[in-house]
Amino acid sequence: MSDQQLQSRQRVDTISPDDTPFAIRMRRIRVVSRNAFDELLKSRTATIGAIMMIMLLLTCILTPVLATHPPTKPNYRVRLQPASAEHYFGTDKFGRDIYSRVLWGGQRIVLISIAAVALGLALGIPLGVFAGFFGGRFDSISMRFVDGLIAFPGLLLYLLIITVAREWKLEGFWNDLILIFALGVNTMPEITRLTRGTSMVEAKKEYVEAAHVVGESSLYIALREILPNIVSPLIVNATVRLGYIILIIAALSFLGLGTPPPTPDWGSDLNVAREHMESHPMLAVYPGLAICYSVLAFNLFGDGLRDILDPRIADR
Amino acid sequence: MLIYAINRILQIIPVIFILSVLVFGFVHALPGDVIDTLTATDGEEDPEVRAALEEEFGLNKPIYVQYFIWVGSALQGDFGKSLVTRRPVNIELIERIPATVYLALVGIGLSILIAVPLGTLAAVRRNTLTDYSAQISSLAGISIPEFWFAILCILLFALHLGWLPSSGYAPLFEEPGKSVLYLILPALAVGFRQAAFTTRLTRSSMLDEISKDYVDTARSLGLSERKVIYKYTLRNAMIPTITISGLQLAGLLGGTVVLETIFSWPGIGLAIYSAIQLRDFPVIQAGVLVLGIMVVIINLLVDLLYRVLNPRVGLG
Repeated sequence: MSDQQLQSRQRVDTISPDDTPFAIRMRRIRVVSRNAFDELLKSRTATIGAIMMIMLLLTCILTPVLATHPPTKPNYRVRLQPASAEHYFGTDKFGRDIYSRVLWGGQRIVLISIAAVALGLALGIPLGVFAGFFGGRFDSISMRFVDGLIAFPGLLLYLLIITVAREWKLEGFWNDLILIFALGVNTMPEITRLTRGTSMVEAKKEYVEAAHVVGESSLYIALREILPNIVSPLIVNATVRLGYIILIIAALSFLGLGTPPPTPDWGSDLNVAREHMESHPMLAVYPGLAICYSVLAFNLFGDGLRDILDPRIADR
Repeated sequence: MLIYAINRILQIIPVIFILSVLVFGFVHALPGDVIDTLTATDGEEDPEVRAALEEEFGLNKPIYVQYFIWVGSALQGDFGKSLVTRRPVNIELIERIPATVYLALVGIGLSILIAVPLGTLAAVRRNTLTDYSAQISSLAGISIPEFWFAILCILLFALHLGWLPSSGYAPLFEEPGKSVLYLILPALAVGFRQAAFTTRLTRSSMLDEISKDYVDTARSLGLSERKVIYKYTLRNAMIPTITISGLQLAGLLGGTVVLETIFSWPGIGLAIYSAIQLRDFPVIQAGVLVLGIMVVIINLLVDLLYRVLNPRVGLG
């Protein structure tokens, strides 16, 4: 964290001469995170979103403990049962426990989304920082490239990519990997634009000039001085993007273009539930609610965070 | 502006070129070749039949020649023949365009009808119960996956209440009454989600306008509040709403695949989806290319329109 960012917060660190550098650093981290926490509590939206998000992530981590039945093992004696103490959400047409399937499906979809957004950030941030900071020809070439990527209609490309993957009989892990790759590359352009815009603004500020005067190298300035100051809009964007990606994955697997059947998956489970819609409507409710909950969690958190970070909007 | 427009138009040429290479490369990235799919006789096949089919589909030429032949005939509107029906692909697709456009237009119209009054009301009565409920319902609208919403609609209105048909299509001009009945649920599903986006947008741009000086001036001149809001503010606030609706239209043309599948709505999306199921590659190829180009062009138009309406946007 740079000094500039620290000074803009309420709590300011004081440094005594006999502190070790490590102690100073640790204390700064503490001060910054406590300030961030205070800010977070100011926005009701962000607080609710954060709680929902933490619950979702905890559920994903604890899935092996929370799930009561193996998600893919059929049990034909208990087909299409209503909710009971044994099966919290009832069972599907193969007698599989829906509660456990929703849990395992959630773990998978959240992991894929996080991996895809992480890939988008890993590709987009360096490109954006360097384009914004160094400018010139590198900037214009990389921005044309990014414009080209943005112009591509997303869902159609996923359809193409997934069809090819399916024809190559890529299953399980490799199928997921291709999905992560496609979604990550599709996330990249927006991240790059955002990073570039904010780092261009930052690059003109006085502290960057001061760093140049002190003799820090451009690379050091870009990574250690500028990057920490543009983290907040990136967090907002990445959070909202997580929700969006969950929707896309669910839509694709709903169309039967995701992982093949036995794997628990919110989208494909919904699709299967359509067959029994008349007799067992509740089958279509649980995976749908799960999708809504996760997307809402990320959207609420992203919305609230945006209000906190951009007070101009929050005022409205 | 003119230079920007020319630049922007020139920019889509490489995008369309890359899109065409991707779409062409797609078929060649598939394992085996089209003939295998066509004859579906793995191993034992007649070399003469194979040669004849290769001749028929032009597969016996070098790959770059095939690409130029494909692009050349695509420019003339000839996308080859469907592997399944053996009919020309362009006829298969052109038949599907009216249904997609019909659904997209009505859906967008519906969303504007819901969103503009709701967003305006939320902005005018800021921080009241009306505002909060508008905000909450639009956040929910963004988080609910459209295919789940569609399923719930079918459950309620078609299966439970029996008011509307659950799926199907009738052409507007031949059977208007029936056509409208079939349209209601799909249009609701399209409109609901788009309305959520548009409500948020209308609300924030109305708030932006209301805080401007001219509103105070108008009020101080003694104009009624109603006149200030509906005659002056709303008109200005509509600019971003109109642009975004245009973008949504572009998105819908490519993105109604899921809804068209659920409601058996015979649009381009359903055509691509069933082509994927039947491995009818020329149709997938042409469908994705045509939709992709349509999306790119609509994006371009919206971008240009936005800059005409709002000259303050930097011509970057």
